[in-house]
Amino acid sequence: MENYGLDLHGEMLLEEFRAKLPLYEKLQQVVSNLLTNRIKDIGLELNSMESRIKAEKSLAGKLHRKGQKYSSLSDITDIFGIRIITFYNEDVDRIASLAETIFDIDWPNSVDKRKQHKFDSFGYNSLHYICTLPKHLYYDPSVPEINEIRFELQMRTALQHVWSAIQHDIGYKSEIETPIEYHRSLSRLAGLLELADNEFSRIRTAITDYRRRAQKLVMSGKFDKVELDGDTFRSYLQMRPFDKLNQKIAAITQAELQNAELMTYLPVLKMMKLDTLADVERFIHDNFDDAYQLALYQLGSTDIDILSETVGLQNLCIVYLLKMGSGKAGLIHLFNTINGKREQNAVLADLVLEQASHLSFMNK
Amino acid sequence: MTFDIKEQNGGMAVTVSGRLDTPAAVKAQQEIAPILENADKEIVLDCTDLEYISSSGLRLFLTIRKEAASKGGKVIIEHINDEIKKVFMMTGFYNLFEIR
Repeated sequence: MENYGLDLHGEMLLEEFRAKLPLYEKLQQVVSNLLTNRIKDIGLELNSMESRIKAEKSLAGKLHRKGQKYSSLSDITDIFGIRIITFYNEDVDRIASLAETIFDIDWPNSVDKRKQHKFDSFGYNSLHYICTLPKHLYYDPSVPEINEIRFELQMRTALQHVWSAIQHDIGYKSEIETPIEYHRSLSRLAGLLELADNEFSRIRTAITDYRRRAQKLVMSGKFDKVELDGDTFRSYLQMRPFDKLNQKIAAITQAELQNAELMTYLPVLKMMKLDTLADVERFIHDNFDDAYQLALYQLGSTDIDILSETVGLQNLCIVYLLKMGSGKAGLIHLFNTINGKREQNAVLADLVLEQASHLSFMNK
Repeated sequence: MTFDIKEQNGGMAVTVSGRLDTPAAVKAQQEIAPILENADKEIVLDCTDLEYISSSGLRLFLTIRKEAASKGGKVIIEHINDEIKKVFMMTGFYNLFEIR
């Protein structure tokens, strides 16, 4: 066993640590599983969750520095520590609230570093709870001490974590230890990251709010007020706007329709300068008959009885582009967008042009 | 119609030839079992000698594609003739496969 040059008291605490190590390992497993499952239940996405049991060498260092402060091992609350890193400020508070419902919190020893700064100073931001595992969640009569062990739960955002990790990497454990000229630089960065954290939260809230409003407008049918974008098109697709055309095409050969992803067509619709959902509605209405005629020409003489749900929208786009005079180049662009850039798309464009040349909309 | 299946470069190389009509597709459902078992790999369907594909043939290709999608594999269709290309395009299935 390694000799760390501790006094007798320190040696006794280290010996107690070695004896209790299996208990700490069990606690780590139980607490990690509990948190993982509960966080999953509330659907919160984390940046990361990590836990560790203090390495013997690190504990010896702590005992060397301030061993007399601890009368027993149970006074050291960070031997087992778990750190949860979130993306947003609000999620730190959600995790804290969740932890309060799971663990018993030692409030006098828990600390919210975020609230310790003066209004004009910036630095380490993190929320630290000192916790114990309540018996109703885990109890093993052979090791009842496990419910008495205090551990530290650290909660912070990814940006707060970056700041603290870099400060730690530089080699100073606290702001007091940092030379004054670097202290100012680090404080300035902490302020910048705090601002960025707030901005990320504001953006998330604004986007969520926008999605709700857009979905309401889509569902209310006020299409002229709804700009075409990823969120609004997804909501619009829930109203199954291409079903009528798809079903009419499927009826040609009594075909079954296979589910398909239509979001890939959004860049095509944007390229065709459809700016609002009202434009998309007009696009369907104005090209419905010709898209059907194209499908009739393509499928009428076949016995194909299986179709993708993209068939209606694909034909609408083909017809629109040809009517607008986009010709072969327009069709290649369409196929490049929905199939990916392939040499074969030029062959497809020629095949479609040949088919369409027999239809009335190309001969008006 | 024949499905000639070989393991190649860690994936599956399948040569499909003849007419993939309904009776052939029913028969081929058993023949493609080794392909489905290896659907976590890259599956290359060489269709140089595939003359015709029916709806049942399309369903067979879709079955392989679905299995590959669920197992993290990939289906590549090579050298299909223009008539078959037309079938994939007209049905809206073209972009489901990597066709080259």
